[in-house]
Amino acid sequence: MQGPGDEPRDGDSGFTRRALVVGALQAGALGLLAARLYQLQVLEGRRYAPLAEDNRISQRGVMPRRGRIVDRAGVVLAANDEMYRVSILSASDSELKETLARLAAIVPLSEQEIATTLAKARTTQRNEPLIVAGNLSFDQVAAIGLHAASLPGVETDVDLRRRYFHGRETGHVTGYVGSVERHAMDDEAFLRMPGARVGKAGVELGMDKDLRGKCGSRKFEVDARGHIVRHLDEIDPVEGRDVMLTIDAGLQSRVLDRLAGIPRGAVVAIDVTNGEVVLMASVPAFDPNDLTINFEPDVWKKLQAEPHKPLLNRAIGGQYPPGSTFKMVTALAALEAGTASLRERVTCDGSFEYKDSTFRCWNRGGHGAMDLTDALRESCDVYFYELARRTGIDRIAAMARRLGLGQTYAAGIGQQKRGIVPDPGWKRAALGKAWLGGETILAGIGQGFVLTTPLQLAVMTARLATGRAVVPTLVRRPDDARPALPVFPPLAVKSEWLDAVRSAMVGVVNDAGGTGGNAAISDSAVVIAGKTGTSQVRSTGGDRGAGGDAFELRDHALFVSYFPADKPRYAIAAVIEHGGGGGATAAPIVRDVIETLIDFDPAARVTTGSLERP
Amino acid sequence: MTELARRRDETLAERLIHMNWLVLVSVSLLVAIGTATLYSVEGGSFEPWAERHGVRFLLGFGVILAMVAMPMWLWRAAALPIYLLALGLLLLVPVLGVEALGAKRWLDVFGLQFQPTEVMKVAIVLMLARYYDALPPSRIADPVAVFVPVVIIAVPLAFTLSQPDLGSAALYAAVGLGLMFLAGVPILYFAGGAMVAAFAIPFVWAGLHDYQRRRIETFLDPGADPLGAGYHIAQSKIALGAGGISGKGFMQGTQSQLDFLPEKHTDFIFTTFAEEWGFWGALGLLVLYAILLTLLAIMAMRARSMFARLVIAGAWSTIFVYVFINIAMVSGLVPVVGVPLPFVSYGGTSMVTLLAALGLALAADVDEGQNRRMLRRASRP
Repeated sequence: MQGPGDEPRDGDSGFTRRALVVGALQAGALGLLAARLYQLQVLEGRRYAPLAEDNRISQRGVMPRRGRIVDRAGVVLAANDEMYRVSILSASDSELKETLARLAAIVPLSEQEIATTLAKARTTQRNEPLIVAGNLSFDQVAAIGLHAASLPGVETDVDLRRRYFHGRETGHVTGYVGSVERHAMDDEAFLRMPGARVGKAGVELGMDKDLRGKCGSRKFEVDARGHIVRHLDEIDPVEGRDVMLTIDAGLQSRVLDRLAGIPRGAVVAIDVTNGEVVLMASVPAFDPNDLTINFEPDVWKKLQAEPHKPLLNRAIGGQYPPGSTFKMVTALAALEAGTASLRERVTCDGSFEYKDSTFRCWNRGGHGAMDLTDALRESCDVYFYELARRTGIDRIAAMARRLGLGQTYAAGIGQQKRGIVPDPGWKRAALGKAWLGGETILAGIGQGFVLTTPLQLAVMTARLATGRAVVPTLVRRPDDARPALPVFPPLAVKSEWLDAVRSAMVGVVNDAGGTGGNAAISDSAVVIAGKTGTSQVRSTGGDRGAGGDAFELRDHALFVSYFPADKPRYAIAAVIEHGGGGGATAAPIVRDVIETLIDFDPAARVTTGSLERP
Repeated sequence: MTELARRRDETLAERLIHMNWLVLVSVSLLVAIGTATLYSVEGGSFEPWAERHGVRFLLGFGVILAMVAMPMWLWRAAALPIYLLALGLLLLVPVLGVEALGAKRWLDVFGLQFQPTEVMKVAIVLMLARYYDALPPSRIADPVAVFVPVVIIAVPLAFTLSQPDLGSAALYAAVGLGLMFLAGVPILYFAGGAMVAAFAIPFVWAGLHDYQRRRIETFLDPGADPLGAGYHIAQSKIALGAGGISGKGFMQGTQSQLDFLPEKHTDFIFTTFAEEWGFWGALGLLVLYAILLTLLAIMAMRARSMFARLVIAGAWSTIFVYVFINIAMVSGLVPVVGVPLPFVSYGGTSMVTLLAALGLALAADVDEGQNRRMLRRASRP
């Protein structure tokens, strides 16, 4: 008996065989899957794990607060204004569009702003927030927080904008901040922060690393759309350090008032005992707020188009021929070389012949027979032509450098110019030409190629006054961090010669026939030492000081000074561009500056803690 | 013979007692794994997926019991009408279909949405089983007899490709050819068919939709466009790799929890599971499928009627093809074609299809068992 199912059918064993074949193939296929999983999970697992972490974790910088800048009395010159701004994480185009549309109901956003944000989102990496709008009110920030659920990826934070107080008076010293230029971006986390600002000029630039601080960071767990799921880790930023300046905002203000009406010029005063620059005024002034909180799109163009270039801090960035203020350098170089003596007289008949050229003295009639003191006091050009010829440019240049010219200082202020202390090597490198003897003659009276900044002239004067290698600074260290006096090494110039130059400089201001009589102050107890300079803008050896000339062609008026003459406390340099004669224009300004200085620091007139002269 | 004529159908209770419960136990385990993974994907919530997944299975369980209750002769008789009905529904899709995700696949009948391609998966199996059941074994190698099942498979396959639904089309082809092989079609036909297919590839390629071509291109070089079309595969591999040997732990899989995985609750659920449970977990899941497939294979081999054999083999091969394509896809072995992982992936349609196929197989097995039992009784002295 057989049931129908048991009917012997062709292919019975065939089916079982074929089923076994199929089963074997399936077993092989599942084995293949297992092998694949073994490869991905066991053999390559370690390679993939960090990729999953990268996916998951988004790190974002936290901006440090920029340090403040205060003056020597603690008056705040630069600080941060807090401004709320709103940013959004880049997401898919359509999602972003929707979110921005909803955001526009809270924060007024123009079509243009929305379009800009969308365009930026296409070029930005995921997980990097884009700033949509700044300068929000607190109410708007609160409203955004309220609607957070319908605004995915939208965040508000505080943006710090730099605000300058006493900007007009101290703007050249503080400088200003600006956004990071593209090429500097990959240096450091801070520079890649959206909205990061760095110092662009002045102390903001010179002390940028201190002021900036260090970025903190926040780690988030994010989902595939970049939305924050939870906070993982937070490293607080290191806030920027406050910087105290050596300048006095009140003094700056008074001196700038005095400079009113002068189109271009600069005055620098240094405390010779410690190198602190107590005054650095440059006209015309500008307000750095115009470049930060009050920024308008065309402000750059406007400021750059101004003929008097208000953005230039002339105290460190203006380079002028020092003229006769350079004669101390020539004198000391000659004395040290033995090519001049204190007693020897040189006769000035109004002009000096060298090879085929004639170099004129400013006094056409000639000064007659002069020794070194006479020549400095009356600023005889012929005397110094002769000294320059005898001494040679190399020795003069070496002395100029010892006195602080032709260099920048670690003074904490950016954009210092080096000036030029010319010598044959410099000329070959800069102009590709050989040095000419006549160029030495011109350099002897601070003309020709010689260029100096007012700060350099003040340093030179401080070094003459003290006999030490005074280095200027604009950053005031805390009192307890200041080393005891004396801080600066001696110049190693014979004090006999320094004394001769100093007494001649006293004569310039105080003796009959001195060119700087205008610098003497009413308080006769304080003896002022100084030197006039009238430097030619045109390089011809001919006429000078022609008052009728166009402004741009008129001579620069210079005056360098220190006081009190016996125990120096302050060194001052003033350059009035196209001001005419140094004695006529610059000396009276320096006199007023000295009186103001004494006003602010009465102890200066009878200095007790002054530097020992070496 | 007379005894057989007096043969009566067993009662429902008897049929259920003799059902292969081991199969249902392994399927229940798979559903439980699916529910737990869906719970984890949602960050520890039964809403919206895990709960519905479990509920659907319970409903589907009822469907299985209902199908087992029906005797085989009824299914045998219904095979052709069901196939024709499924074909008609498939033809209606381009006319009345609802479009979703760039493809028209769904039909809406009195508010009930379903995919005719899914119905067809069961219908093809039934139809082929019916056909070979009726075909005398002596004619198995007859070219005309080989051509008929090819048409049975090819017609719905063509419509499905045009929808376009690459995954279902691949399944029709694989399961259909598998059944033809098991039915005893000579190997030579398959070899010939393979050669024809090789020649046809360029023409098929020309007929593919852009997105289908892109998927295949992406599969061939997934690194070329990691944020675009290759994103799915790349993220899936990262998740598998990050799971490592022992996994990140239940509910700790960052790739899926944080939405880096696409379709993490449906087609890519294996990745989620493997990220959290590691290689051992993934291997365990594979073993569970292997057990289920072995149970079905034994059922098929024990069956005596060709109809029962092929109906059981239909469920067997359907489940295998789903499992293989899905896991091969998420591990980057084959292109992403949108095939769910049986009983684990969320999704009502595939669950119903698979349970229906399984119900048929179980019903066939009960019938076969009934025959065996009757034979045993009859042969007793």
